[in-house]
Amino acid sequence: MDAIVDKITRWIGAPESDTETSFDELAIELFHYQFAHNMAYQNYCRALGIDTAEQISSWRDIPAVTTDVFKLAAHNPSSVDITSCNHVFHTSGTTGESFGCHYFPSLDIYESSILSAWHELDQPAISQPLIFTKNHSLSPHSSLVHMFECLRRSYAANTDDSIYLIDGDGQLDVDAVRRAAASDKPVSLLGTALAFLHLFQLMEKSGDSFTLPAGSWALETGGYKGSQFSLSKEELYALFAEKLGLQPDQLVNEYSMTELSSQFYTRGIGNAHCGPRWTRTRVIDPNTGAEVAQGELGYLVIYDLANVHSVSAIRTQDLAISCGENQFILIGRDPSALPRGCSRSAQESLQAAK
Amino acid sequence: MPTPLHHRARLIARASAPFSEFLGSFRANDLIHWLDGELGNHSALGHFIPHGRIRSRAIPARNILHIVSGNTPHGGMQSLLNGLILGAYNFVKTPSGGLPELEAYVDALPTELKSLVTLSPTIPDSWWARADAVIATGSDASMAEIQKKIQPGQKFITHGHKLSIGIIAEPAGKSLRELAQLAVNDICRYNQHGCLSSQAIYVKSSDQLSVREFANQLADVMAEYEIQNPRGEIDISSAGAISNARETYRFLAANCPDADIWQSADDTSWTVIYEQSPVLKASPLNRFIYVRPLPDDLSQLGPELRYLSTAAVHPFTAEVAESFSHLPASRLCALGESQNPTLFWHHDGYASIAELVSWQDIDLPM
Repeated sequence: MDAIVDKITRWIGAPESDTETSFDELAIELFHYQFAHNMAYQNYCRALGIDTAEQISSWRDIPAVTTDVFKLAAHNPSSVDITSCNHVFHTSGTTGESFGCHYFPSLDIYESSILSAWHELDQPAISQPLIFTKNHSLSPHSSLVHMFECLRRSYAANTDDSIYLIDGDGQLDVDAVRRAAASDKPVSLLGTALAFLHLFQLMEKSGDSFTLPAGSWALETGGYKGSQFSLSKEELYALFAEKLGLQPDQLVNEYSMTELSSQFYTRGIGNAHCGPRWTRTRVIDPNTGAEVAQGELGYLVIYDLANVHSVSAIRTQDLAISCGENQFILIGRDPSALPRGCSRSAQESLQAAK
Repeated sequence: MPTPLHHRARLIARASAPFSEFLGSFRANDLIHWLDGELGNHSALGHFIPHGRIRSRAIPARNILHIVSGNTPHGGMQSLLNGLILGAYNFVKTPSGGLPELEAYVDALPTELKSLVTLSPTIPDSWWARADAVIATGSDASMAEIQKKIQPGQKFITHGHKLSIGIIAEPAGKSLRELAQLAVNDICRYNQHGCLSSQAIYVKSSDQLSVREFANQLADVMAEYEIQNPRGEIDISSAGAISNARETYRFLAANCPDADIWQSADDTSWTVIYEQSPVLKASPLNRFIYVRPLPDDLSQLGPELRYLSTAAVHPFTAEVAESFSHLPASRLCALGESQNPTLFWHHDGYASIAELVSWQDIDLPM
């Protein structure tokens, strides 16, 4: 493994008090590594007029690639030989649409990022988890399912695949939620917004509504683009309250994507998403590419040092308002972008079951 | 003694003249000929005429609900024109952001015609109940929503998502620059927001015609067009779609000789993408055009072909046009004329007038 990969892996795993190495130093060192080892990225940098890595002196100037370049099969933006990679995560693609691939020779740094961020960003303790996706073996190329599995192995090692509530045919196990509601231990629900919405529809049909035990919480992620649904966060959270007795401060939203290796979290409504210390964000004006002033709307660009095996700087198609170096208010998916995302994938599973 | 139809046609022709940019140029007689084309005989409107061994007359829809999109003004204006020539009452649901050109057209109508039109940004329940026919323009999702409201017996004419292409089969005496000057009209007018706007230009490669060189020439002409006809501001989402596509193609072009990019400096005003792949892709719009080689097998254009509205062809001879008639386009026209359909065109394959009448028969010969 290259020295920079090892260095970042250790930095991510280190306590927050480790300030000897700055983000900027590591970001530049990682850019040098990726410029040297990622020929597709280097060629792109050259097309932007960056002929040597030395031309970049701040993380803010590192060229970001679009998520769509992960769909270019012949020019994947990987910093490692993809034929040597044991792991690949796919973006969800609709019928006829190509999907993106993010390759990993090892998931060590990926998992370290998940677990360290969960701890560092003070996410709630996981107790009696129920996961609203197919299980890990049925979804080997889903980065979201891998994240849930990583959390399960670390925080609920005594559980098994039965906590994954969507079966191979796309059927959702509502009875498992009913049983959890009847127990006296707090429950942790993790899933996509679309899967939760499907749960609420099934509960509506059967006339069910549960009150989860005190201390319970839910993590939801993904949007509705490309599905037949269109719900505001307020509407979704009202359903959590009505159907499960969970209030907004018991609801976590996770923001990430297959092309990243780190996650951003927020709780409740109207609050900023926060990333771990190995991430930074910029919000840019799409007309000029320049960073907009704090408080203004633009496109979210994420700098993720855990993305060592591809490109650290990813340009999203999400609109956001910058609130700080790794905090932003998420406005949502650019309406002109194509359907994508984990939530869409779950929706396809559920639709296939109808 | 002029019939009510001839009188109406004269009023419409006069009121429409200042709006020829959207409706085309026509006289009262052209409207009558249009009805002849649609109904076999304009006299069928209100009068029994021979129909084989029987006699028939056309009964127009009394009330038409037009659900108009804000993409371009001419779709809504042409839809209204269909209702006016039939003497129908027209409920027009305007886009939430308004449609000033359509409103100006209605304002310019003489009282006799204006009394046949109500504009509103919302649709009262009574409109749904009274409409004999609903003509709707919008996204496929909007069409699906409207479909749920349609009652048995109501006609529903949909104009959903569509796109158009240009085809250059050979230069036929034109220089690359002249060809680009024709294509730019199809691309840039209405900033590609209409279904008639070209989103890709297909060029048959030959010794006389380099596809990449055409793209290069088109970029020069796009830049000149921008100076003469600035695109104007677009919303952040539209700009984001363009810049995202640009950077993706820049990445591809940096890694592969099969792609290239030309663009306006410092803003998103115009973009030309050359790509060796013939697969038709929807453009991010607002003057973002793909230039692709024209394959011998047109099925290589892929699944997006099902949305094809117009193919603007060069050279435009009957022989060349018919050679592309197996494309699923509802219209073939000359390169540069994509945005100028005649009164007689079948919008999305529909007979504009014939779809809005029903027939009454008397089983007796004339």
